[in-house]
Amino acid sequence: MYLKLSLRNARRQAGDYLVYFVTVVLSAALVHAFNGLVFSEELRSLSSFMESLPAFIIFTSAMVVCVIGWLIQYITVFMLSRRSRELGTYILIGLENNQVARMFFLENLITGGIALLAGLLLGNLIFQVLRAITLSLFHAPYTFSLALSPRATALTFVYFAIIYLLALRKSRKRIRTMKIHDLIYYEKQNEAELVKKSRNRRRLFAAAVLSGIVGMLLLLTGSLSLCLIGTGLLVFFLYGFFLSFSSGVPAWFDKRPVRKYTSHTLLVFRTLCAKLTTMGLTMATIALLFTVTLVSEGTGMLFGTLFENRVEGSTCFDIFLGSVASENLEAEFEEETHPTGEPNFARSGLEPYLEYIRQEIPLRASMQYDIYRGESLQVTDYIQGNAEYYGYYKYDPLMACSDYTALRAMLGYDPVTLESGQYIIHCMPYLKNIMEDYEQPVSVDGTVLTPGAVFTEHFTQKLWDGNGRGFVLVVPDECLASRPVSHSIYAAMTVEPLTQAQDDRLREIHEYQQGGSAGLNSFTTGDYTLMTRTSLEREYASTSACTIFPLYYLALVLTMVSATILTVQQLSESVRYRRQFSLLGKLGMDKREMETALRRQFTIYYAMPALPPLLISVPFLWNMGHAFEPGTINGPWHLAEILGITLGLFFLIYFVYILIAYGNLKKNVLG
Amino acid sequence: MLQVNAIEKYYGSKNNVTKALDRISFHVAEGEFIAIMGASGSGKTTLLNCISTIDTVSAGHILLNGEDISELPPARLARFRREKLGFVFQDFNLLDTLTVEENIGLALTINHVNPHLVRDKVQDVSMRLGIDDILSKFPYQISGGQKQRAACARAMVAGQSLILADEPTGALDSRASKNLLEIMSKMHQEMHATILMVTHDAYSAGYATRVLFLKDGRLFNELLRGARSRSVFYHEILDVLGLLGGDISDVS
Repeated sequence: MYLKLSLRNARRQAGDYLVYFVTVVLSAALVHAFNGLVFSEELRSLSSFMESLPAFIIFTSAMVVCVIGWLIQYITVFMLSRRSRELGTYILIGLENNQVARMFFLENLITGGIALLAGLLLGNLIFQVLRAITLSLFHAPYTFSLALSPRATALTFVYFAIIYLLALRKSRKRIRTMKIHDLIYYEKQNEAELVKKSRNRRRLFAAAVLSGIVGMLLLLTGSLSLCLIGTGLLVFFLYGFFLSFSSGVPAWFDKRPVRKYTSHTLLVFRTLCAKLTTMGLTMATIALLFTVTLVSEGTGMLFGTLFENRVEGSTCFDIFLGSVASENLEAEFEEETHPTGEPNFARSGLEPYLEYIRQEIPLRASMQYDIYRGESLQVTDYIQGNAEYYGYYKYDPLMACSDYTALRAMLGYDPVTLESGQYIIHCMPYLKNIMEDYEQPVSVDGTVLTPGAVFTEHFTQKLWDGNGRGFVLVVPDECLASRPVSHSIYAAMTVEPLTQAQDDRLREIHEYQQGGSAGLNSFTTGDYTLMTRTSLEREYASTSACTIFPLYYLALVLTMVSATILTVQQLSESVRYRRQFSLLGKLGMDKREMETALRRQFTIYYAMPALPPLLISVPFLWNMGHAFEPGTINGPWHLAEILGITLGLFFLIYFVYILIAYGNLKKNVLG
Repeated sequence: MLQVNAIEKYYGSKNNVTKALDRISFHVAEGEFIAIMGASGSGKTTLLNCISTIDTVSAGHILLNGEDISELPPARLARFRREKLGFVFQDFNLLDTLTVEENIGLALTINHVNPHLVRDKVQDVSMRLGIDDILSKFPYQISGGQKQRAACARAMVAGQSLILADEPTGALDSRASKNLLEIMSKMHQEMHATILMVTHDAYSAGYATRVLFLKDGRLFNELLRGARSRSVFYHEILDVLGLLGGDISDVS
């Protein structure tokens, strides 16, 4: 009989708390899908970089599980308070506390079990999406298969078993020890105010606002220790603000009665204060979670841009080999001064690479050329004075016009011509505007050249041994007849993208030649740099999978969990709001005004926990965007676009919950 | 001021019709304090709801200051209610999230009164009703009698011409009831408020200047207090109630 009652209650519970139920299903699905990544041999074998993926995912899952645990615990206690009268009635008609506790336990376990089951099924599909994304990042073929590791299923099950047993054990204990009276009147108990005295709350409000401002300023300093102190102050701000809001704002309005009695302000701010009085702690936690969400999403986006930029910007060639421009090599290259001649690469130790490439890799085009030393640092100085730029050379780098036009042809860029007496500037896109303003002539071996066109296509200009660092000046070949060589480059475009085996072999040669390990991320060893598009793409794919996936995973679950708590809280107030608006109707408020008041009340309720996170995360992310290496973020609009997408993603999910809540609330209250 | 002309009210579907009000007519002059009495189910609250435009009549007309409120379009009803009517409910119906001052001021903000004047008007009416010392308190911090006085203040602060009270002493103890009724008498005598009060308590009805008795939806009798003392009037009310055949509980 109890089982029957539990089953019926479980069904009703799923209906009443549909938003919560759906969130648990989606959360379980995400946890399960990411567990699939942890145990996927196929994905781990894609690259040696992917070995660390399970550690990242498990670490994130631990945080996610804590947050889901908080949601389930919160809603279980919430349901207990809402249903305490019903549970008290069961005891009143003769059931024992133990039996009622078991019934409550059982029905929650049934709903949880169903949610988990649905989550496992949906998780399999989400895993397929993640698998497809990962494989496409590595340009590996994707075939649909529903098979998921039993170990992933077991891990998801263990996570949820722990969450449910811990959450329900507490409620079970509570029901077992409660008296009928306590249960029947449990609903009427308010959440205790943590700061009881109104005066103390007002002080806390002022202190919180102050610490918020100071915390934000410290966070933007960029110094690690100050950032940590700033973070602490911001956490204090969030909790202090929400715990004291219910006193601070009424006190503010009390001094400004005219504002208070204007339009719907009175109703709106009082309803909000009442809500915050009872759920200040919850609101603060939600605001904190939203802050973490926005920072996670934004960081994910910024890192995504950074990695993508590295692939795109590091080399535009399929294979790039460059000697390092350094003082030690000066003597070695000084002899090789002819711009169109064949630099002696064999002597530089590049022959083993070239031999392998000639034998094994079909090439569409290849070129060996030099970068020369300019006579002065005038362009470098100009850039350093006008933009963020990390200089490397002690001279402005120069390139022969014939090499430049040949390289452009190899890369498929539009042909250009160098006007007589001019030089071309080829720079990274972020320097375009300031280079277009540059009007100074440059002297090369006695020839004075004036600035010509500026080009910004990708041209391997990020590193110190590329086609200049950030920029290169393209000058007539004859000007370079007696200029010393800065460094030499071999660049090639292949017929087909390099296979993993070819790429690995090139790296082996590279490591052997340089007598050391090439490391995970650096392609530079000893005197030479080897970069292949395949390697960079693999690195990008691995770092994306290891950092961006977990950050988005965390952000998604945090948004859903927080929005669910807000929504369940809001919908549970339907009866009280209906009573309130029915009274307002009797007092003569017309329906349109009631709708406006409800909408404002609702908007502020959902905006409250999202506003402080916005104020914290947007400047933080803006600052972080500027901290990246120059050229990663291409101007403020690019950064604004990244922030816009971050906020768009967050609000997209948030708005789904808001719309569901508003639709239901409007129907229940004014319908 | 208020004219109720042959109003009827039916509830239910085609096969099961209940007649809640049956051709009721009466007139209320400005400054009158009228009590409507009757047993449970006699139609008292239905009548009050029809006058207050919360419910609609099935037939007949209700005129307030010459305006037929039974024919007002829905859009104008809300305006009519907030400008002309003040409500006092049995369970106070104060918003628990607002202070007493704000609860009273709410009637003014709904009426779009200039925000600069709200505090003064609230202060003025609350002084007259003796609740100016509890204005900063929330409803849960004050007694039932104080809550009901706050509700009275809200009912008249915007200058409403007719105050409708539905069992205003229903949730009060005898001392608080007496206190409230004296306040209502004061509102009637000193502030010339027109009050229409529904009650099944003969003691409360004794404070009115006229009592209308309802039975099974019809107007059964009418008593005018005239120059009689409240105690004599009270006993006359009890006599009529005896004739009405109500339970002993109805004459408390």
